[in-house]
Formats: sequence, C-alpha cells, structure tokens
Amino acid sequence: MHPKPTRRQWIAGSAGAALLAGCKTSGPPAAPAAPSRVSIVRAPAYDQSLYGALRRILDGHRLNVRGRTVVLKPNLVEVEPGSCINTHPLLVHAALEAFLAAGAASVRIAEGPGHRRNTLDLADAAGYFSTIPKFEDLFVDLNVDDVTRVRPRTQFSGLPQWYLANTALGADLLVSMPKMKTHHLVGATLSMKNLFGTVPGAICGWPKNALHWAGIAECIADLHAIFPRKFAIVDAIVGMDGNGPIQGDPKPVGVVVTGSDPLAVDATCCRVMGIDPFRVGYLRLAAPNLTRIAEQGILQTGEAIASVATPFALIPEFRGLRLTP
Amino acid sequence: MAAAPRQPCHSMSLDVLIGRQNPDGGWPYSRGGSWTEPTVYAIMALLSAGEFAPARRGLAWVGSIARRDGGWPPRAGVDMSTWVTGLVALLGPRNIGAAPYDRAIRWLLDTTGEQSTFTYRLREWLLGNDTSERDAKYPGWPWVPSNAGWVVPTSIAILALDKENRRQPSTRVRHRIDAGHYFLLDRACDEGGWNYGSSHPLGYPSRAYPETTGLALAALRGVRSPQVDRALVAAQRFLAECHSADATNWLRFGLRAHGLLPAGYCAPPGLEFRTVPETSLNVVMIAAERGRDLFWD
Repeated sequence: MHPKPTRRQWIAGSAGAALLAGCKTSGPPAAPAAPSRVSIVRAPAYDQSLYGALRRILDGHRLNVRGRTVVLKPNLVEVEPGSCINTHPLLVHAALEAFLAAGAASVRIAEGPGHRRNTLDLADAAGYFSTIPKFEDLFVDLNVDDVTRVRPRTQFSGLPQWYLANTALGADLLVSMPKMKTHHLVGATLSMKNLFGTVPGAICGWPKNALHWAGIAECIADLHAIFPRKFAIVDAIVGMDGNGPIQGDPKPVGVVVTGSDPLAVDATCCRVMGIDPFRVGYLRLAAPNLTRIAEQGILQTGEAIASVATPFALIPEFRGLRLTP
Repeated sequence: MAAAPRQPCHSMSLDVLIGRQNPDGGWPYSRGGSWTEPTVYAIMALLSAGEFAPARRGLAWVGSIARRDGGWPPRAGVDMSTWVTGLVALLGPRNIGAAPYDRAIRWLLDTTGEQSTFTYRLREWLLGNDTSERDAKYPGWPWVPSNAGWVVPTSIAILALDKENRRQPSTRVRHRIDAGHYFLLDRACDEGGWNYGSSHPLGYPSRAYPETTGLALAALRGVRSPQVDRALVAAQRFLAECHSADATNWLRFGLRAHGLLPAGYCAPPGLEFRTVPETSLNVVMIAAERGRDLFWD
C-alpha cells in the first residue's frame, strides 16, 4: 500500500504533470557521426617521459595547429602543497612544448579558479612558477580577463547570455586539461566541467555560484556548445576519488586520456573510474545522441579501458553512478 | 584632507599603479580593460597617498558606469549590478556624489542572498526541502543578485553600511549590519576563520582561507564572540605563515580592526604585489596603519 501523498508532494506532483504535459518530445535521433578518437596512454609518473609522450599523443591525433593560437586550460582549485587537487604543472609544460613543436603560433596557459581569488598565488603554490619557465608571461587569469557577451546556441541552463573570457573565446584551439576527479555535486569532473574556468569570477563571484543556481550539469552542457574547437588532455596519472574535487584522496591511475571530442573523452574517463557515463547528467544532456558516449561509438586507441580501469571511491550520494558489468 | 606621507619604499608601487591606469580612467586587475573592483582600490590608494589627479579620473570612470537601479556593474558593458556596489559605496558621498551614494546604500539594503527571500523559501517548502530559519533571519549578500549569500560580498556590504551608519545612524542600516554579523558568525569554520561560504558544505567541514578570514574579521570589528576569538588566533597564524600579498593585505586589515596587528608591522620582504588590487591595498593598509584609513573614515 502506498502512503497517502502529503500536500507538498501533491502540489509538486501536479506541477510536474502540468510541466510534462507542455513539453515537446525530442525529434528523431540524429544520424550517428563518425566515431571520435580517444587515446589512453600509460604515464606512470610525473617525470621527463611526459614530454615525449605528449608529442606522440599529438602526432597520433593528427592535430594541425600550425600557425594557430592554442590555450591550455588546466584545473587549478586550491593551495594545498603536495595534494592531487590541481592539474600537475609538468603535464601542462609538456603539452606546451608539444604544441609549440607541432608548429603552434602561440601557446598560452589560462585558468579562472572557482575558489581562490589570488590565482597567481595558487599557481605558485601548485608549482607552476617553478616548473614552467616564464610562467607569468605565458599565463592569463581568466577570472579577470576581458570579456565578451555570448548568446549560447543551446539553452540547457536557461541563461540567455554568458560573459566569457576573451582569451578562451579567441583561441583557435582550447585545450581542456583537467585532473580526473570525483565531484561531490555532479559525480565526476573532467574536461567538460573544467570549462567553468572560462567564466570570469570577476563577473559571477567565487565560487561561480551563478552557475550552481542555473544548474551545474546544464551550464556544463551550454559551455560545451559555446566552445567548438576543443581538445582534451586529462591528467589521470594521479587522480582524486572520494569527496572530490577538493577533499578527496589521491587515486593513482597512471594514464593520460586525450581526444578532440570532450564528450567521448569524458565518457571514456568515466569508464576508467568505474562510473557509468550514461548516468552522468551533463554527458546525457550534451550528447546529441547517446552513441557519442557509448563505448562502441568511440574509436579507442592506446591502452584498453579494462586494462587501466580502477574504481574510484564514490560518496554515498553518487553510488548510483557506479558502472555495472 | 591630510595626505599620508609618501615613503620611498612605496613610491614604486604608486608609480606602477598610476602607470597602469587605462585611458578611460579605470584600472584593470592586472592588464586589459577597466574593472570596478581594482579601480576602487586604486582610487583609495591614490587618495590616501595624496595623488589626487589620477584618483579624480578614476572617480569619473566609476561615476560613468553607475546603473539606473542604484548599483554598479563589475565593468562597463555588463548589464547587472553586483557586490562591487558595496566597494563603490565605501568611497563615500564626498567622492562619488551624494545622490549616487544614497542609491548605492539603498541597493545594498534591498539586496539579500536568495535563500533569504520569501519566494525561494516558499518554493523550497512546496518541494518539501528543508530551509534554514537562520537564512531568513540573518540574510547576507550575494556576489550577484538571485544567488546565495557569501562571506566576501557580505563583509564588504557590512563595511560600507557600517561607514554609512556612523555617518548617519539608521535603524534599518543597523539591522542589516547586525544580520550580516550573524551571517558571518554562523559560517565560521570549526578551526577558526572563514572559507568563502558554508563552514560545512554537504556536511564536510571546510578549511578557512587567510584572505576571507582577514576580511570577515574586519567586518566584525567590535563584535565579541567565540568565533571571532578563534578567527583571531587563526589570522595571527596565517599572517606568520603567509606568502600571498592578497592574503597578507586582508589579514592586516582584519587584525588591525581588532587591535591585534603588531605595532610597526611590515609585510615580509620578497612578497610580490603583482596585481592592481594587491598593490593598492598594500598602500591603503600602510596609510591606515599610519592613521589615514579610507575603509573606516
């Protein structure tokens, strides 16, 4: 026997029914696109071997960046020496060298952290100044960069306009370089969630609370559509599991995951983490058809997922995301 | 107005600051177009150092971007008023003009974190979600209207309203200041000090940050409570360990508000003041330590 609904449940249920009645059904699924290529490359440590590995990765993806402007967008979150919160600076430097070697006209590093306002102090504490020569000349703080008002092509969040950092908008190629981490609000934070750093804190505050109120998954999906020219390099040499993205535990995985389609890259990362990508809200929203995040819809190169997969600990709220065989 | 004596060791900062003023009169955070926040800090620094001409150009830029709703946008061309309205109000009616100043104070009084609004609480009640009575009683200020209240915008708004209340006492202003104080005390971290928002997001304790701890302590000037006592201990520890110019500036501000900044305190050598706010606030803090305090006076 079902319990009698409360007044709140009745009102909420009626409102939901009314909303559903007004909804249009989606159209027929789009024709499947060519499979996206995602590579998983073993990288057991943050050492000099990353420089060669990144060059081989770019060669493998046949990225043509000759004469182009490239912006590397790592994930910088917290000042916590020795922690695994931030994208490792050696990987970022290896990417910078690889893109320059591939003929890029310019390569800059840019980030707009969501928590700490003193970005350069954060980058310093995270080892960027000591690892990357002339870091300050190469770096743009996206939180305080000049901005352009953009009207998004999609309307998942309902935000009619976004103010976004010009350095990110103007890049011929925006390279999202997240850390592979669990996230206590959306399950996993990867290359798509990392785009939050392109929204200046000087407009919407620290943390970027306006995006939380508009819906994190919805905002991720909108940002994914706004930036069409992307490449993803996921730092999964040591990731973070448990109560990520700040208070979790180090999770060694020993790989770098890359590709030109962030949807396919993030879906692959989820599988490596033991998370079902079909249950991650923003992946479902952003995938025009779900084959983009289906394993059979992705051209997998390098290591097989099964050979590197290692289940990330999930907080109770996200145990339902667990990938089941 | 008596200017603070210009010291050789700070003249480079001032010169750099003046050199970074944009042709429109405003300042960037570091480089690029003008933003309201660094412009306000630069104006404060220049006024406290007696550099009136560039300060006046900065004030003209600030005046030119005021919005019709009484607030200020974070930069020209952004069509919303935000927390920076509190910063502009700190410049006072003498600098920004009586009418714009009054509108800024009204904007601050009319703005609360969304969780304190009736419509939000009604919606959450209908959805069966818990809402905190404390949010209703003690509203803070958001970064952007229609968002939650946070420690930094709440602290800045309190500082602006406190200055206004000393200029022209008012029950309504006093009430918002008191509510803001409760908001801050409610969000103090267990270890002492403040993060940006909740002390226990999603049930997990958050760590205090030096910069927010310093700013919140300044906003809590004259307030006595166990949270303030713990925060003062944390702030003194942060100051001893700090390698950040931004954090050092705010910690000096917070400790001085409670009479705990060591006499003759000097920022550690080698501290890099890289941005316009860092450089400006350092000048403002030095002037304040010499008795010319634009945050309070």
